Amino acid sequence: MKIAQIAVALVAIASPLAVHAQAAPAAQGVKADEQILYKQVMTDKRAVFAQNLQLTDSESRAFWPVYDEYEGKLKKVNDQFLALVDDYAAKFGSITDADATAMLKKKMALEKQRDDLKQVYTKKVAKVLPPIKALRYAQVETRINNMIRNDVYSLIPIAQ
Amino acid sequence: MKHLKLAFAATALLAVAAPYAAQAQSAYDDQQQLIAQVQADKRAVVLQAMALDDAQMTAFTPLYDAYQADRKKLMERNVNLLNAYASNYDSMTDDAAKGLLKDWLKLQKDEDVLTEKYVKKFDKVLPTTKVLRFVQVENKLNTMLKLPGIQAIPLAK
Repeated sequence: MKIAQIAVALVAIASPLAVHAQAAPAAQGVKADEQILYKQVMTDKRAVFAQNLQLTDSESRAFWPVYDEYEGKLKKVNDQFLALVDDYAAKFGSITDADATAMLKKKMALEKQRDDLKQVYTKKVAKVLPPIKALRYAQVETRINNMIRNDVYSLIPIAQ
Repeated sequence: MKHLKLAFAATALLAVAAPYAAQAQSAYDDQQQLIAQVQADKRAVVLQAMALDDAQMTAFTPLYDAYQADRKKLMERNVNLLNAYASNYDSMTDDAAKGLLKDWLKLQKDEDVLTEKYVKKFDKVLPTTKVLRFVQVENKLNTMLKLPGIQAIPLAK
């Protein structure tokens, strides 16, 4: 249920970007919408973890600060990713090799930062939760991320 | 159409892999056959989506095939990991969960390293707009292929 809500919110986030590729939007308004929707998605995501991990009080006290730190760092990377998609959308149809080089470099760097954060924080979670709950955390995180990515990728047009 | 076929093959791959760990040889043969089918379908989609000219295709194809061969090893590791998860699922111990998480994180890391390595190789033989296109197509396909399996696997208990 919550996961479905996340998907809907993410589609809503990505939609202005996809439209952006075809028509020039009011950029500031789109960015504000992105931020509001992003916040909603993060709130829903937190609820999904709360529901699926079923933490005891002491596990909660240990887990949530690590989770919030992870999400805080992830947001900075995701903000840069959204900016990159905006840039891609603005140039779509007339992307030069120089543009593509810069975008590819940025995209690969952001992917690496995301992957590194996931590795580091999954290990941190594994230090503060029992192993089976840590495994469950990694499964839920993977489900949510894959679903979000699937929606976002399906809305971004392929480079020409 | 092709996309549906790919998604089905991925689901089938995972469905076959998990429940039949005990029938080792038969399951292994099925896995190999399904991995080969998924990869063949994926190759056809990628080659079409890349829209390369003849010279680009000549440069790209051998590298892509080497990339696919390396990815196949990772897919096999993923299937083995799923089998181990399925075997432990009903009586998961802390040690088993620790081992599975460690192996899964290593697999994720190796997937990321492989993609980075080949993006650099592709960038040496193709215009960067085409490499950007490859990354987009590859991301879309891999995410789509993984999604049914990830959703079908029950969470650890």
